[in-house]
This record gives sequence, structure tokens and C-alpha cells, in this order.
Amino acid sequence: MAQEFWRWKEYTWRAPDISWTDGKIITGGVDVGSVSTQAVVMVDGEIYAYANMRTGSDSPDSARKAMNWALQDSDLTLDKIHYIVGTGYGRVNVPFAHKTITEIACHARGANYLYGPSVRTVLDMGGQDCKAISCDERGKVTAFVMNDKCAAGTGRGMEVFADLMQVPIEQLGELSLQVDKEPEPVSSTCVVFAKSEAVGLLRKGWRKNAVLAAYCNAMAHRVCTLLERISIQKDFAITGGIAKNVGVVTRLEKELGVQAIKPTFDTQIAGAVGAALLGKAIAEQEKK
Amino acid sequence: MTDKIDGQIVGRGAAEGARLFREWFKNLTGAAERGEHTAYVFVMGSIAEILRVFDFNLVFPEINSLQTAVRRVAHEYLNVAEDYGYSPDICGYVKADVGVQLRGGEHPMGKIPKPTLALLTNACNTYLKWGEIWERLYNTRVLTVDVPGSRNARGQTWAGDPDFEHDRQYVEYQLRELITACEQITGKKFDVDRLREAMRHTNAMSVAWRRVLELNKSKPAPFNALNEGTIYLGVANALRGSPEGAKYFQDLVQEMEYKSAHHIGTLSEEKYRLTFVGVPCYPIFRRFYELFSEWGGAFVASTYLEFAAGGLNLGYEYALNRPLESLAEGILITVRHAMDAMFFQNDWLVEGIDQYHVDGIVYHPIKSCRTVSTGLADNRRAVMAARDVATLFIESDMMDKRVVSEAQMKNRIDAFFEGLATRKLHAA
Repeated sequence: MAQEFWRWKEYTWRAPDISWTDGKIITGGVDVGSVSTQAVVMVDGEIYAYANMRTGSDSPDSARKAMNWALQDSDLTLDKIHYIVGTGYGRVNVPFAHKTITEIACHARGANYLYGPSVRTVLDMGGQDCKAISCDERGKVTAFVMNDKCAAGTGRGMEVFADLMQVPIEQLGELSLQVDKEPEPVSSTCVVFAKSEAVGLLRKGWRKNAVLAAYCNAMAHRVCTLLERISIQKDFAITGGIAKNVGVVTRLEKELGVQAIKPTFDTQIAGAVGAALLGKAIAEQEKK
Repeated sequence: MTDKIDGQIVGRGAAEGARLFREWFKNLTGAAERGEHTAYVFVMGSIAEILRVFDFNLVFPEINSLQTAVRRVAHEYLNVAEDYGYSPDICGYVKADVGVQLRGGEHPMGKIPKPTLALLTNACNTYLKWGEIWERLYNTRVLTVDVPGSRNARGQTWAGDPDFEHDRQYVEYQLRELITACEQITGKKFDVDRLREAMRHTNAMSVAWRRVLELNKSKPAPFNALNEGTIYLGVANALRGSPEGAKYFQDLVQEMEYKSAHHIGTLSEEKYRLTFVGVPCYPIFRRFYELFSEWGGAFVASTYLEFAAGGLNLGYEYALNRPLESLAEGILITVRHAMDAMFFQNDWLVEGIDQYHVDGIVYHPIKSCRTVSTGLADNRRAVMAARDVATLFIESDMMDKRVVSEAQMKNRIDAFFEGLATRKLHAA
């Protein structure tokens, strides 16, 4: 079977030092995105387990699989989770969710938790769209802007380029930085146009890394214009899958003149973490 | 007792508006069969008062087109035009009209008569090219009234200013040419008293429409500017200068005053008061409204009710003792305002925040019409720089459901309301 360069690794994780039986409130967050699905389980506001996998054609099934995987090897079962919030494009397709909340609110809350309450601007670079979010010290959204309908500047676009360039998606950002001179960006209005342009550059004899640099440069610039629309304020944090692409993040920071906080966790789970935390707040409110 | 009165008054404007529209289309069907004189006109400056003197049936192609979208058949008409060679990128209103024409006037509301006159203004750049289509199809006589626009955002001139008088005379001269053309086409002699009569009816509609818009400052707002407002707007255009139009708007004022006095709104709970900027999403018109109403969001004001009202929103009243002079003045002021309402609306939006107690502003640029959409992103920034107000920017179309993505819109709309809830919480 030919190598699928675009396919990123699915994984699961569980906190070795947390016992769910000691917890007062157990909550879940399920972020069903256009490309990936994350399920997070939190015990009293601490991450107990999570899973990150590709979203299939059946959103409810993807939600179930992700949650089952997160709970794998644990005796915690779905019925013991007090409150579950669904988020992401497929949020209405999480059959076991008690409530749905948009990923904009969830990413803001998740970034507040994962990066700290000093975060005022969150950039969520997801599978199908990018969101620039302003938030307060509690991780509440005060304003946001999103990209238009095109997949350029998103994870889906990056997958297309990994496939085109025959480069594993995890290595794409790093390779894009290995150029002597930063090339001009390719088209950023449409991922299909960008792909055509890249093919043209390869035919001209451009090195693979240079083409990748041109694409990452284009993505960074596109996202930068989005951020400028909400007036970026410090601290600045990035969530979503593209936050793992050092080629885009480095160029974005350079163009903005602002450093993003360095993540110490998986940036893809921010939405699901936010959903679980918002679920905790609701569960606590309902208990009163 | 109140319940009985409620039943008689509340909702009357929407029901009567729908009835008048059905009647209007029925008349057009009859006109098509009888081969009567018909003028194709546009919402931003129909100059209906002169056309009524010559008994022209009025056809608003923009209204015909949006009706195909509301009735969920726009794609059929768009496809006919695109198969004929029109690009998917051009105005959906134009293409739906081309589809209607190529189908011999067949329309979901009736039969549309062919034009014997097309009367345009320069308020929309597409009008001019649209008129050329009928010219090619039917050899229709096309007249364009060129109305001078604002030279800059806040630099309009008014009566008494020599520049204004030059502009007014320029419009009046063109109106005299229009009258001559109407006499040639219909064989009827111009009757200034009939013009006065039509202008008197427009005056009544204009005063009433302004009052209706003002009454929506009430809490809760008596009507939703997105859906009910669009019905009222349709009547304002279609029946401009007619006794039926004047009567309708007098009744509408009565309804809105009653609803305002009795605190009757459009939702069980009006949680958020919103301003709409742009043209509605007609292909999913009801659903589009529900995406906001489900959150308790009520549109209390809309730029659409400004720029597409033929200037009635200004409450301008013609001086009937100098009809042509005054008509030219009114057209100059109102068409100029329609153009300003598209391009310089940020001042109006900022002022409206307090006047209408607005919680958020929804910008809805559309693919089909760059005229009303270009600059909205900058407009939003200008408004947000002036005031700390929540805004939403969603893009779709007024005609073409191929570019309407409900899931993407819903995501943004839901997040907008979550943000509004946070703001209310902070404010409390």
C-alpha cells in the first residue's frame, strides 16, 4: 500500500496519577471537527484521558469511537460521566452530549485553561477553518472573526500539500524552514489554486522545501490578515492542528511581530478541553 | 377586549402585504395577456409617480427575482441563464430575470409582461447592463436617469446651495425627457394633476414608513426588520404613489403604534436587539431568520429598509404646488441617500446603536452583489473602532443556494450569541 503522507497519527492518553473514583464531578468534551475528532474526560477540572482521531463519514460514530477510545483501559464508563458537551461542526451529532456549544467558545475556554488566564487572543487553526478569538480573563469570547469558506490556510489544505509533495505531514513545517532564502508566498485564496501554482513551481525546478516554504508563508500571511481584523492583544495563543506546524507558526510570529505562548500540551484537544470545562460549570450550576 | 383588538390589528400588515402582492402579480398576469404598457423599474429610484400618470404597469425585476428564491425555485432560473451563457459570477437578480424572460415571462407568482419601457437610475451599476439585456431581447426603450451622488461621506448639499440647485435642475431636465418619452410610447398626454395625485400618495407612504421605522425603537420591537420589514418594503416599492399603498401604510402605522403601546414584540422574549446590514439570504429566508430568533435575537433595524425603500425612509414630502421641481428634488435626495446608505452607512449604524438599543450588528455580504457588499469588512472595523459593539460577519447570497452554507453560518451565528450572552453577563 502506498504511503499516505497526509495521514497524521491518531492517539490516546490517560493521566497516570488521577483516580476518577475520587472525583466529585466528571465531565466530557467531544469536539467533532471536519477533519479530526477529540474526546476529553476531566475529573474535577483535571484532564483524566483523551483521544484524538480522524473524523469519519459518520459523525455520531466518530464521537462514540473517540469517547470509547479515551475510556479504553479504564473502568470509567460513559454513564458515570456527569455532563458531556459536544462542540465542533459535528456538535449536534454527538448522541450522548447533554448540550452543544460552538468551538469558538470552547477553544477560548480551553486556551484559557491550557495556556493560562493571561491569554487575550486565541488563534484556532483547525481542519476546515481558522478563527481569531478575543477573550477575557475567564476565557469568555468577546469577539471573533473566521476565514471564509475556502480550505486554504487550514489543516485540510496542509493535508493536500503533504500529499502533493510526498512529505509526511508532521515533517512539513520543519522542512519548510530549511531554505536559504524565504520564497514569495503562493496563492492563498484557494487551496486548489495554490496546488496548481505549486505544481508549476516544481516544474520550474524549485526544490521541495522551497515550495513548502512558499505555501507555509502563504498560510501565515492569510491567518495574519484574519488576526489583524480583531486587533491582536497579548497574550497570544494558538490552538488546533496547525499550531503543531512550526513552519506556519514561525512565519506567523515574524509577520505579526508577536510571539505565541509555547504549548506544553496537545494543541488539538483545546476545543474538547474547553467543552469539558464548560460542561463542568453547567453541572455545578445545576447541582446548586 | 384587548385580545379581540389584537386579532384585528396584530399581524395585519404582513397578511395584507402578502394579499396585495398576490393581487399585484395577478394584475401583471392580466397585463401580460392583454399586452398593456409595462415599465421595468428598480427599487432605488422607480420614479413611479410619473409612470402612474401614463398608466404603466410597474414591474420590479429585483422583486421578481427574489421571489423565485423565497419560493425555492431560483436555481431553475439561474440555470436557464447560465445555460444561455451568463457567468455564475454575475448578479443573481439579473440571471433570474434572464431566466424569466427566456421562459416567456413564466414566474412562480404569475406571468410577467414584457417591457415597453425600462427606466433605470445609476444607483446600481448593474442596472445599466441589465437594461441593455431587455434592449437586445425586445428592442425596449431604455432610459437612464443619472442622479448625482454625494461627493464625499458627509458633504451633501441641500436646497439653497447653488451646487444642489445645479444637480436638481439636471435631474428635472431628465424627468422632462422621461415625460416626453412616456407620451411617445403610450400616446397619452401628460396630466400634471395626476402626477400631483401620485405624489400625494407617495407623501403619505413616506411619512408613514418613517414613522414605522421609528416605532421599532420600542422595546420590544413591534416588527422584525428582516422578514416582516421585507414584506413592508415590497409594498412600499410595488404600490408607491398609489391609493392602496397610502392606505396600507396608514394602517401599518396604526398596527405598529398599537403594538408599541401594548409592548407586543415578535418573539416570546426579545433577548437581543440586532441591526442587519445588507440583503437577506432569500434561498433559506425562513431558516435564516430562525438562526437568530432561536437565540432570542430580533432585528430591529436594517440598512436594507433604508437603501431599498426608494427613499421613503427619509419621510421626504413633495411640494405639490411645484410638482416637477419638487419631484426632481426628492429623487435627487432619495436616490443619493440610497447610494449613501450602501457606501457610507457606518455613521447611521453607530447612531442607531443608542436609538434602537442595539446589542449587536450583523453584516451579511453576498456573492451576487458586490455593490452592497464591497466595503462591509471595512465598515465593520470603522463601527467597532467607534463603539464597543458586538458584530457578526457572515457571507452567503441573496439568490444562489449553491453558495449558501447553512452549517458555516450557524456556527458563526451561535458563537455570536454566545459572545452576546457573555457581554450581557459582564454588563450585569
